Amino acid sequence: MDQVLVQVPQQIVNGITLGCVYALLALGYSMVYGVLKMLNFAHGDVFMVGAFAGWGVFSLLTRGGSPVVNATFILAAMVLGATAATALLGAVIERLAYRPLRKGSRLAPLISALGVSIILQNMAMLMTSGRAKAIQTELLIPAGAGVHLGGASISVARLLIVGTSVGIMLALDSVVRRTRLGREMRATSQDLEAAEYVGIRTSRVIVSTFIIGSGLAGVAGVMIGLYYMQVDFTLGFSAGIKAFTAAVLGGIGNMRGAMAGGLLLGLTESLGVIVAAPVYKDAIVFTALVAALILRPAGLLGTQVRDRV
Amino acid sequence: MRNRHVMWSLILAALISLIPVGVSGQQRMAPVKIGAAGPFTGDLSKIGLDSLNAIYMAVDEANAEGGVRGRKIEVVVADDSGDPAKAVIVAERLAMDRNVMGVIGPMNSSAVKAALPIYQRVSLVLISQSATNPALTEMGYRVMHRICPRDDAQGPAAAKFIVEVAGARNVYIIDDKSTYGQGLADQVEATLRAAGVTTARGQIAPEDRDFSPILTRVKAAKPDLLYLALPSPSQAAALIKQATGLGLSPKLMGGDGLKERDQLIAGAGGSAQGMWVTAIGRDIKEVPEAREFITRFEGKHGAMSIFSGQSYEATKILIEAMRKAAGDDPAGLSRQKVLEAVHSTRDYRGILGFPVSFDSKGDVVGASIYVFQVQKDDFVQVREYPVETK
Repeated sequence: MDQVLVQVPQQIVNGITLGCVYALLALGYSMVYGVLKMLNFAHGDVFMVGAFAGWGVFSLLTRGGSPVVNATFILAAMVLGATAATALLGAVIERLAYRPLRKGSRLAPLISALGVSIILQNMAMLMTSGRAKAIQTELLIPAGAGVHLGGASISVARLLIVGTSVGIMLALDSVVRRTRLGREMRATSQDLEAAEYVGIRTSRVIVSTFIIGSGLAGVAGVMIGLYYMQVDFTLGFSAGIKAFTAAVLGGIGNMRGAMAGGLLLGLTESLGVIVAAPVYKDAIVFTALVAALILRPAGLLGTQVRDRV
Repeated sequence: MRNRHVMWSLILAALISLIPVGVSGQQRMAPVKIGAAGPFTGDLSKIGLDSLNAIYMAVDEANAEGGVRGRKIEVVVADDSGDPAKAVIVAERLAMDRNVMGVIGPMNSSAVKAALPIYQRVSLVLISQSATNPALTEMGYRVMHRICPRDDAQGPAAAKFIVEVAGARNVYIIDDKSTYGQGLADQVEATLRAAGVTTARGQIAPEDRDFSPILTRVKAAKPDLLYLALPSPSQAAALIKQATGLGLSPKLMGGDGLKERDQLIAGAGGSAQGMWVTAIGRDIKEVPEAREFITRFEGKHGAMSIFSGQSYEATKILIEAMRKAAGDDPAGLSRQKVLEAVHSTRDYRGILGFPVSFDSKGDVVGASIYVFQVQKDDFVQVREYPVETK
């Protein structure tokens, strides 16, 4: 029993860290769904591409096990590089795979998204010969450093992940609520045609949504690379499923819901491991999802906030 | 619309160009084919491709000596990604190709287990270079052969080492639910228990990348040794690094699947220092007969992994058996004859450092289990445990 209790603080820390990454990814799902009513199943793979982009920058700026420039600079470059790469990728995917199908049936873009997901995964597999790439996080962030709090060790890497996520989420929340682009996004999500009639260039709004959502996936990719200390081509699939779950759990289309859903999912996954074997952590997550949806079919925040995105 | 067509045709063209095309022989008789089954893509592709290169090397040498009595030998690449479901599909494909007379692989125990009934149905002999699960040769399939010792030799040897040399009294064992991982973990645990060592078990999934949940459990159990029964060295490397990140520093040990320099030692940064791994074959760098092979292999493909030597040897044994089975009538070669010839292999002297024979179940006779330790950036052999045949 005492073996169970000592795990609790650390598992909470694990859950919050992972939850923040899920939340960033869930935001991308929710934003696209809010604006287009479409599930972008390629989102997880965009995240994987972001993780690889981060690794690419990392290996460019390190030589033989030591950084060639300041560590903070490398971290910043990884985030910027990955965000730029995924934002561009998001725009390209929207233009090539989704926009031509926007007027068609609602299922067509869904299939197209699955196709994009498979293409991205296979391209990554071929380019890396299927091998995992190591990221020596300890070169950038000292491994031992961090806070020890009531039996849990909170490394600097974890603090960075949580800090960055929270910062980005707050910024995004105010973008959507306070800026012109945010207003246009909300209008488009309420009624695309009506928004067009009042002079909103909805195509531009949609592409912006993809760019922002994919950019967030890029940031999340870099963070997961630093956290797992390794990236590989299969990374996107399970993360994508989890983020989608988080988005549904929070009430898909609702941004604050996505954040709450991500955190809750991360915590459920980590705390579930205390009572059940770690192999069952995905089963626990999905059981919790089903239970939550039976109680609140629209998701946690699905009905409370009226204007979506 | 145009854009999309261009994109799709580019993608299609790129994919088509990746399909491996065999070299067509110009001889009168059809070439003899050898199937190479293993994980040539995916997580385990490093060990798979190292093995494939060794198979090609053995086949090229044999072709330079005239193939099988004048019949050219070709390799059919059968990629299973280490996945049992795909192993079944590629086995069916090899079974349908009538010129395939033998198979090297599959490499993963779970893949062998899934594909064995198919190979048995068409009497297609297989020699696995690395599938160590004991059950594989106990199921009564006559086509099954392997040149690596089993986990019921490896597991107890590892446990013996943990008790006698590492001196651990409290061991945490992690496996990945695979036929190999779980089987090896069971063997290690049983022997440790019998020796009075406290053990705890934990499982991860092959697709897991985040090990904080299980490592937090490990931390609570305070083991003095962590044993990893995982087939994937890159997964093990990530796990070890994340353990260091959580402030865990038990002694580390793992099975033969982890003896891979690039992914384990380099991948884990400094965290794998001092880790022990068992191996199902000698470091062939110390075998004089292997020197020529190593020089040629490393000259062409870079650092060799443990299964390169084993794959080369298995291929040589198969070709030798084909030649014996062909006798003076290479055109009359049949799968049944090749199977009998492989089965009766006795004292084949190759590069592994011991004469290879198969017992009636298809298990190798005369092998040893070795323990290696990670020192600086390589594995150093520290112990040898001869295998008692069961």
